[in-house]
Amino acid sequence: MLTMIAEQIVNGIVSGSVYAIVAVGMTMIFGVLRAINFAHGEYYMLGTFGAWFAIEYLELPYPVAIVIGVAATAVIAVVVGQFVMQRIVGAPPETGVLATLGIALVLQNTVILVFGGGYKFFSGGYIEPVSIFGFTLAEQRVLIIIVCMLVFVGLELMVTYSRFGKAMRAVSQNIECCAVVGIDVPQVALRTFILGACLAALSGVLTAPVNVSVYGGMGEIITFKTLPVIIMGGLGNVRGTFFAAMILGIAESLVATYVGLQFRDTVGFATLMLVLMWRPHGLFSMQARF
Amino acid sequence: MSSNDLSLPAPRRDLRVLFGVALAAAACIAPLFLGNYGLHALIIALIFLLPAHGLNLLVGYTGLLSLAQAAFFGIGAYTSGLMAVRFGTPFYLNFLAAGLLAGAVALPLGIPALRLRATSFVMCTLGFVIIGQAIAKNWIGLTRGDMGLSGIPKPYFALGPASFTVSGTVSFYYLVLAIAVIATVAVYLIVRSAAGRNMIAIRENETLAESVGIPTWRYKLVVFMISAAFAGLGGSIYAHYLTVVSPLTFQMYYSTTMLIIVLGGGAGTISGVVFGSLLFVGLSEALRIAPEVRMIAYGLCLLALVFWFPKGFAPLMDRFWSFLKERK
Amino acid sequence: MTGLPILEISGLHKAYGAVCAVDNVSLHVDRGEICGLIGPNGSGKSTFFDCATGLTRPNAGTVKLDGQDITGWSLNRIAREGRMLRSFQKTVVFGALDVEENLVIAGQMFTFPGLWSTFGIGAAARDRVVALRERARELIKIAGLWEVRHQPAGKLSGGQQKLIQFASMLMPEPKLILLDEPMAGINPKLIERVVESIRLANEKFGVSFLVIEHNIDVVTDICERIVVLDQGRKLAEGTPDEIVHNQAVREAYLGG
Repeated sequence: MLTMIAEQIVNGIVSGSVYAIVAVGMTMIFGVLRAINFAHGEYYMLGTFGAWFAIEYLELPYPVAIVIGVAATAVIAVVVGQFVMQRIVGAPPETGVLATLGIALVLQNTVILVFGGGYKFFSGGYIEPVSIFGFTLAEQRVLIIIVCMLVFVGLELMVTYSRFGKAMRAVSQNIECCAVVGIDVPQVALRTFILGACLAALSGVLTAPVNVSVYGGMGEIITFKTLPVIIMGGLGNVRGTFFAAMILGIAESLVATYVGLQFRDTVGFATLMLVLMWRPHGLFSMQARF
Repeated sequence: MSSNDLSLPAPRRDLRVLFGVALAAAACIAPLFLGNYGLHALIIALIFLLPAHGLNLLVGYTGLLSLAQAAFFGIGAYTSGLMAVRFGTPFYLNFLAAGLLAGAVALPLGIPALRLRATSFVMCTLGFVIIGQAIAKNWIGLTRGDMGLSGIPKPYFALGPASFTVSGTVSFYYLVLAIAVIATVAVYLIVRSAAGRNMIAIRENETLAESVGIPTWRYKLVVFMISAAFAGLGGSIYAHYLTVVSPLTFQMYYSTTMLIIVLGGGAGTISGVVFGSLLFVGLSEALRIAPEVRMIAYGLCLLALVFWFPKGFAPLMDRFWSFLKERK
Repeated sequence: MTGLPILEISGLHKAYGAVCAVDNVSLHVDRGEICGLIGPNGSGKSTFFDCATGLTRPNAGTVKLDGQDITGWSLNRIAREGRMLRSFQKTVVFGALDVEENLVIAGQMFTFPGLWSTFGIGAAARDRVVALRERARELIKIAGLWEVRHQPAGKLSGGQQKLIQFASMLMPEPKLILLDEPMAGINPKLIERVVESIRLANEKFGVSFLVIEHNIDVVTDICERIVVLDQGRKLAEGTPDEIVHNQAVREAYLGG
């Protein structure tokens, strides 16, 4: 019984890692651009499609496919960032909502149009099981957890010590002063956005071997799951987002096993709704804090 | 000292009435010119006009961005469908019940939601759609889950011994046309009333509106409920037209479409919304544009609206009306 | 100077964490009086207004309007039921609407009995709006805005917007108007017109005033009594003459 629960929790940590990598990108984008990126899940989808394409049509091995998936998303992110996301900085909140909704529609449906709406099979990845601490997991799942740790440690270092990280913190705290101090706000915004989109793509590529099916509409669900995570973790709060993502992953896993699989995908937003309606200030600090 | 608007050199003709009559005539004889598919496109456009009117009151007049229309659309569709299938009640009862229930549900949802700031409010409204779909999928006892309700009867009216079933596309068109006209008139009356002015005041500057005695929070709640009721009514007709209802009625797609109609047509104007529905929904249906292409077009429209055309077609419509009014 | 003051505030206190914006301030405004509220920047005058009019919740204190306890009432209720209106330092208007509509809206909630009645389309509702429009036009003429009355308020100059704001407050026949720096940013030529409007409203319509203002000439000209705030506390109170010669007041403004 206990091992069963422990197994679910480990599964939850794996999902949580996936959500964490996606969510941290979205929360950083909010911190710097002050915009909720409703298209964020689409970059997850684009990374997955890029990798799938590399494996199916270019017959490249999985590690290379990872790079291709992220790189393809990066290219698209540069275009979207230059023409749309930069203009959202300083605009009223409705602008960000509508613009990112528009981007989501365009990205999602272009992919469906080009590749067709059916489910595709993702054949790469390390799906051999491996035994760790008495648990048997697919290697890919362990890889996900490891990458998640690396990402967060890397981000923590970057935000604290690198020049870019300091610029990000400055823009998120006081955007008016940044121009005075000589920080190129549009550039910081653009780079933060690209970083966030690439993280989402990375998460998609890493998860594809586990989920196996790839389809154009897969990004929407990711967006819907990431929104609760960043709100409850505290908008712009990297550490809070990590914990919120883990909690969501574990909660989903437990709900799927003990309440019913059909409720798993609703846990996130249902919890968010409860929090919004009863405790509008979230569970963690709402101040933009990296 | 007063300025006399009538002291002009030559009399100007007010063509607005003429235009209105021509439009009404065209609408009435449309079935003579349009094939079944063209009528279908018009019907869909007119069905979507109702939730769009509601959303316009919320977004265009009161200044509240909401993605929840699909949720109330779905509630209306299920209410009407369930009543027709389970109780065999006549259409007008299902229709009214759909609107009333959707509006009533909006009350307990709106009270906590309207306390939130703009971004959180938008997310909360999105949540209503997602939760709505989850309920529709999982409350199998009521909704039959993913299988949905099918075999919803065509609308029928009973007057004593006489009864009339709206079975063909043409008669359905006239039914929807009548409802759409009544709805448009109703929205027009709301907008021209003192309440309509107060809504605009809230949109322009909420604190200033408060300072002149307008209870802004209560207005927002009332408009939220009215908007939901309109969506519910639209959902009811939708259910009876398609004869099926499924959890897929609770989809962002519908909220997005209604948003495009309102923002693209011209938020804060009535003629703009009517035009928007005919253009964005009617035209895309009539041209049988593939759903993916349509959504890409909607996405690009949203981007264009946000950055270049915040008023949508409203300025063009304004010029058109002025042209008609003064025949320059 | 009839018995009961129109506004009586006791012990108003508002602190933001460790910073005390309004420190236990009490003041009153007599019926028909024009009372001035002055003090150096940061002395808590605007916060005081915000607390008195329901925009902010004070930590402590009571506010009585015409004998009625309105402490804790919302901004819109104080305006609608209490008939105490306030202006804002930063002039605001309903930008997309024309001048006449701005004034009509400013009077609506005072003639319509409640929220639901504003949805009415019957003759009663129409009559109310007609009456509002007539009153609006009168005020527009007095304010000298007749030529621009159909222009969107957002496109008019700052001074014209201030006049709109002032005319708005006279739409409902208020008991008391709180003016927050009415002369700020006004073309010197228009200052006289604003002063006249205040006097007109006070003498002809019987409106009492509490005015925050930095322009000492204007304050000493129109106010019968002046209250001085400094660092959130009431420093002095008296006639313009007394205040101008008050040593502590001079120090607060010149020293520190």
